[in-house]
Amino acid sequence: MNELKIKDLTCYRGDNLVLKDLNTKLKSGDSLVIRGSNGSGKTTLLRVLSNFIKLYNGKILFNDHNVLEDANYRNCFNFVGQKNCLKDNLSVKNNLKLWEIIYQKNISYSKLLEDFNISHLMERDVASLSDGQKKCISLLRLNFTESKIWYLDEPFVFLDEANSQILIQKIKNFNTNNGIVIITSNINLQNTFTNEIKI
Amino acid sequence: MFALLKRDLYLALYSSSSFFYTSSFFILILIILPFLFGTNDVQLQVLFKGIIWIGLSLSILLTMERIFNADYEDGNLDVIIQRYPSLETIIISKYITHWVVYCLPLFIILPILSFLFYVSLDNFFLIFLNLFFGSLGMVFIVTFVSALTLGAKRTIFLKAIIVIPLFIPFLIFGTNLGSWPILLALSMMSFVLSMYVSAYGLRLYVE
Repeated sequence: MNELKIKDLTCYRGDNLVLKDLNTKLKSGDSLVIRGSNGSGKTTLLRVLSNFIKLYNGKILFNDHNVLEDANYRNCFNFVGQKNCLKDNLSVKNNLKLWEIIYQKNISYSKLLEDFNISHLMERDVASLSDGQKKCISLLRLNFTESKIWYLDEPFVFLDEANSQILIQKIKNFNTNNGIVIITSNINLQNTFTNEIKI
Repeated sequence: MFALLKRDLYLALYSSSSFFYTSSFFILILIILPFLFGTNDVQLQVLFKGIIWIGLSLSILLTMERIFNADYEDGNLDVIIQRYPSLETIIISKYITHWVVYCLPLFIILPILSFLFYVSLDNFFLIFLNLFFGSLGMVFIVTFVSALTLGAKRTIFLKAIIVIPLFIPFLIFGTNLGSWPILLALSMMSFVLSMYVSAYGLRLYVE
């Protein structure tokens, strides 16, 4: 059983107070949707949780260890931000090869692409794909690590109805396998994920 | 570190035009010389010593956007920093890749170009040593400037204004045959400075 606790989290970006006294607790199998308007600090929160931003007040504890001091924490989560991490001038296959090297995990590309039914895009250049197709490929990074937490920054942007349903199913499967998911969104996902906070 | 190095080299291989462009650029700069200054062999030998440094400086300067900026803009830098928390590892990997991809091709074609410019074997060896040690230092310099200006878009002229003055010592000693020990010392100093400043730049970006 894993547990992620956020205690009195306050974060400034420059002189702006972005996050103020945020408290929450998530256990294995939980999902949390963070809603807020543009510029409200959703992405900042995910970057704080992912240990990219280290200057903040309060504590983030994963299994009672402060994430700033826990060297293993970086292997426990997967952060998928708004940038796609794709090289436009390369084919989808070559991009997957680069991820394979970074994540040091061998994976069957065709099986991977079947997740979003996009096997036919394997040899295509990324530059020729639509934003939605790029987003689907970007989300495939979730399959490259055996993480316990997923931080997903606006994952539904550009996805059509069918692919949104596939992603929702992936998140639910991850929850069933004791994963914790934190999603930022400025659209209402309350029908799908009940646990929601507004910032 | 080897995984990161492998990834950067694969990336260069997949965009294999990089090797070709740098070498072509270097050759073209040298080819225009005889048209401008004539084909007198003594004159060409003197010009060659200087113009290869201009070719090298421009090759390194014009490709500096690719050191960190490409990975920053598509989001890969986040993934790399998460997977490889040691910034020093990331920086050293970038040094090696940038040198291999953008400087090594120049060293491969250098013997042919030296022959075309009537450079004697003794002088070729000294030019090669100067260029080798100088290129290392110049790569260290562009790496830290690239890390410091991370996120600033379309700032190649700003970067050039920062980088070119820092290249001057390399150019002064580089054109003087036999000063490779000074270039080695300059490169070692650049390495120390570059490691600290690049790590600072990356840390600023992350936060």
